[in-house]
Amino acid sequence: MPLTADVAAQQVQERLRSLHRLIYDIEAERSRNEQCIDAILRAEKSTGSPSSADDSSGSSQQVSQLKSLYKSGLTAAEQEERLLRAALSRIYEIRAIKNERRIQARHAGNKETIGCGALMKLLLSAAQTLPLHVGRAGERAPPLCGAVPADAGHVARPGDAVAALVRVSDNEDNWILAEVVSWLPAQGKYEVDDIDEEQKNRHVLSKRRVVPLPLMRADPRTDEHALFPKGAVVMALYPQTTCFYRAVVNRLPASAADPYEVLFEDSSYADGYSPPERVAQRYVIAIKEGKGRAT
Amino acid sequence: MSQATDEIADIAMTSTEPDSSQNHTHEATSSLSADDASSSNAGTPAGSEGQASRQSNLQRIQQRKQQVFNWPHNKKLLKLAIYSACQTPDCNCNGWKTPVTQHAGKTPRADNQPLASFNDVCRNCNHVLEKHVSQLQGLPVAEVNRLLGAVVDVENIFMSMQREDDHNTKQVYYYLFKILRKCILTRSQPRIEGPLGQPPFERPSIAKAITNFVLYKFNSLPQREWQTMYDLAKMFLHCFNHWNFETPSVRKLQVSNPEDISAYQINYTRWLVFCHVPAFCDSLPHYDTSLVFGRTLLRAVFKSVCRQLMDKCHLERDRMPPEKRVLVLTHFPRFLALLEEEIFSPNSPIWDPDYKQVPPNHLQAMLDNKTSSRRVGEFERVTASGDSKDGFTTVTLSSGSIKQEGVKRAGVSVSGTGGKRRRVCSEGSDDVSQRTVADIVATISDPNYMCGPDALFQTQAPRDEAAKIEEQRKLIEFHVIGNSLTGPVNKQTMLWLIGLHNVFSHQLPEMTKEYISQLVFDPKHKTLALIKEGRPIGGICFRTFHSQGFSEIVFCAVTSNEQVKGYGTHLMNHLKDYHIRNNILHFLTFADEFAIGYFKKQGFSKDIKLPRAMYQGYIKDYEGATLMHCELNPRIVYTQFTSVIRMQKEIVKKLIDMRQKEVRKIYPGLTCFKEGVRSLPPECIPGAREAGWRAPPPPHDPDPDPVTLRNVLHAVKNHATAWPFLKPVDKAEVPDYYDHIKYPMDLRTMGERLKARYYVSKRLFIADMTRIFNNCRLYNSPDTDYYRCANTLEKYFQTKMKEVGLWDK
Repeated sequence: MPLTADVAAQQVQERLRSLHRLIYDIEAERSRNEQCIDAILRAEKSTGSPSSADDSSGSSQQVSQLKSLYKSGLTAAEQEERLLRAALSRIYEIRAIKNERRIQARHAGNKETIGCGALMKLLLSAAQTLPLHVGRAGERAPPLCGAVPADAGHVARPGDAVAALVRVSDNEDNWILAEVVSWLPAQGKYEVDDIDEEQKNRHVLSKRRVVPLPLMRADPRTDEHALFPKGAVVMALYPQTTCFYRAVVNRLPASAADPYEVLFEDSSYADGYSPPERVAQRYVIAIKEGKGRAT
Repeated sequence: MSQATDEIADIAMTSTEPDSSQNHTHEATSSLSADDASSSNAGTPAGSEGQASRQSNLQRIQQRKQQVFNWPHNKKLLKLAIYSACQTPDCNCNGWKTPVTQHAGKTPRADNQPLASFNDVCRNCNHVLEKHVSQLQGLPVAEVNRLLGAVVDVENIFMSMQREDDHNTKQVYYYLFKILRKCILTRSQPRIEGPLGQPPFERPSIAKAITNFVLYKFNSLPQREWQTMYDLAKMFLHCFNHWNFETPSVRKLQVSNPEDISAYQINYTRWLVFCHVPAFCDSLPHYDTSLVFGRTLLRAVFKSVCRQLMDKCHLERDRMPPEKRVLVLTHFPRFLALLEEEIFSPNSPIWDPDYKQVPPNHLQAMLDNKTSSRRVGEFERVTASGDSKDGFTTVTLSSGSIKQEGVKRAGVSVSGTGGKRRRVCSEGSDDVSQRTVADIVATISDPNYMCGPDALFQTQAPRDEAAKIEEQRKLIEFHVIGNSLTGPVNKQTMLWLIGLHNVFSHQLPEMTKEYISQLVFDPKHKTLALIKEGRPIGGICFRTFHSQGFSEIVFCAVTSNEQVKGYGTHLMNHLKDYHIRNNILHFLTFADEFAIGYFKKQGFSKDIKLPRAMYQGYIKDYEGATLMHCELNPRIVYTQFTSVIRMQKEIVKKLIDMRQKEVRKIYPGLTCFKEGVRSLPPECIPGAREAGWRAPPPPHDPDPDPVTLRNVLHAVKNHATAWPFLKPVDKAEVPDYYDHIKYPMDLRTMGERLKARYYVSKRLFIADMTRIFNNCRLYNSPDTDYYRCANTLEKYFQTKMKEVGLWDK
């Protein structure tokens, strides 16, 4: 079914309304949780006080009371988590709708060419709104979250953003930002579109020339292992361009919303590296050794 | 004419007064005086000899008149008798003439010579002098004096006529002489009638156009500079009003076009009759040249006027006070050059009879309130950065309107650009009211206002939008900085220049670092710097050639990781506004292959509109680069341009919406076609008119005016290369001509066809004319004179047709 601008707007409106309700619910749930915690704290305090220690029956009563308080606190926290995840998923849905709308508009042929500046803004906002991986306790970051590579058998879906190694001249290859159009299983190749519509658009590339970009951000406070360490050599999207170049990680993101700070290899600077540039998690990927030696 | 000479001779004889206007001749008597220009900085009038002599002439004439007015009454009557008809019944004598004996001995004409008495007999009609003045006896003194004034003028005109060598001019004097004589005779007011027409002869007048010019070109200047331009305009008009035009016979030597000459002849005569002679003969109605003539005359004389004016300026410069010298020698040539452009431009707004320009803010402020220096509606201003003494090396640019609230700003920008629109409003036509516009502006400035469903996915913001927002939030700043070798340069400026040097050398790897240093640190070059977080991230290095009226853009770059954020566009817009404030309206640059796209987006073109002489030898030439030019429109505030246009678009959209709501109505639909009607005029369809449908104007190809065609044909016939085509080719002379040319045509035949009203459409006329040329080129080879004549005349013909608006291309 074609996702027209009107339909898309309507769907987004629905999600926004739902999100609106969820935010109120979250607030209500949060205050309930606070009350729970207060009650627990009060109960713990009275249990711990020596004056009531001799009253064993009262003590056991207190313990069971505490237990039930813990239990309800746990449920409340789980409920809040559920609501938060629901709200997040609404946001991701909106994001997906907008992305879908964009792809459809593009394929519908009415190529209202996006200006260069608008494209850059689009890329930045796409990176900022990349879903954040919020793992459950003990869960490791899944593939394509932050620096975690894709599984061996992973096949990128149409619309996924990838870095693609394309031939730009007789003996020069460039890693460009592209979007998957389709996977051709018979040939084991991807059909990808250059994200920059002004360039030659369609490329058919073997799987090894296509690296999927992260689908989720990793939170440095919980999943530091899912980030590139300082000093790692990576491929990073040069700011305000649609090309990936070799760079060295200079500083890790301080929070989930922060970008990396990287130094690009650049021989026009005396020490061979550019001044620090900020690149979002979405646009920093592991280097494929032996390939993409871009300067 | 013989009778006239006789008459004149008589007057010359009887004129007993010494001529007091010996010197009011046709020599140039213009001056560069701006003393009547109520100017603040124009100096004293230049002591030009022409001026002095003219002044003294006029004074002498006035003195002479006063003298005559003070005569005893009888003496006045004796004088008037010479110009008055004899009242004896049936006598036709129209002026008393001295008896022959009285001047037998060639009496010297002197004031003290005794006049005739009332009893002296007229040589002409033999009646006594008294009979010639009886009708004047009861006239009031004022009327008698008026007649005497006319007598003085008659005598002056007579003297001028005697001295005049130019035949045409002489005739005009004679014509005026007769008019004045008749008006004394009939004691009436002089009236000039006939084919010359009455002033004003063309609208808008030259004075109006020059005022328009000042408003149009210099509106954006600061008050003091604007005042200078205003003074120059007054000076020019003053000179023009006192200009002595060259006679058509002199002009004929320079201009070959017969029509131009005849047009000039008419205007010259008008000028003599209405402007020049009345200046010293005040019994004739006087008009200022600049008020009664328009574009035609100014175009005809402008170049020679300018040349002579400038020559005169240079001659007199040593006698001028220094500030006047600057005005005349520095500003005046540029003023004249700009004026020339507008005068000869086919579509300059200064000749729009309805031209209305909002006067400059400072002028308006001056008019509104002399003490108020606050400028309303100011978009941009330059403030010297206050904290250091480097005001002359660093100029901070700020957007004056940014601090205002959105709605207010919107209002200002609408009215600021809507000079034309406002005119329509004031004329009370069916345009929307200011109030409606204000309401709409309030609506669309509301942050909650949505532009439709795709607002969610809006990506098509103007290129400089983001940069403008950053500037508003003070995240980025723009400064014009430059090095100085003579004054102190503060550390900040120096650091920024070094930073800019780094940006340029990184972004322009094909330029050597040394070359970049050489220009960035050159005091003649300035750089508009884009500062973010205290550091330059981009800039445009330029050099202004004030004398040539343009700036050369030398380097233009934004550091790579800040590109495609609209900074380049915003930088260029700031540079444009900065130049408009400094009254430089042209940019030139040599763009390399990667820069051409950028410059095109910024309004540059490879089509160089500036004359080569203006920049050759000034601008640095780069091999392999493309010269590009951009002309600025001083009426646009470039940093506000996109938002103003957007606002206008939104307003129009809203107005259409409103109109649609008003007229929305469902009509049942037409049934007449079912009933067999084949067609009906659109205005009969219900609702069509209400929805704004108007009958299209009748097709614009009326029958050509035979007079126009005759004029064109006449001009073509009189052209120097028309001789081979004047009459049909003679078979006796060219026996084989008609073997080759099956459809001959010539100018005489065309004249006959024109008379016979054959040319009912311009197409037929053009076809015949073209046939003449084609026949010629068919029969003759390209190296013949005939062939060349055909080419030349064809071009001339096309020009003529274009002039009268009958040529389509």
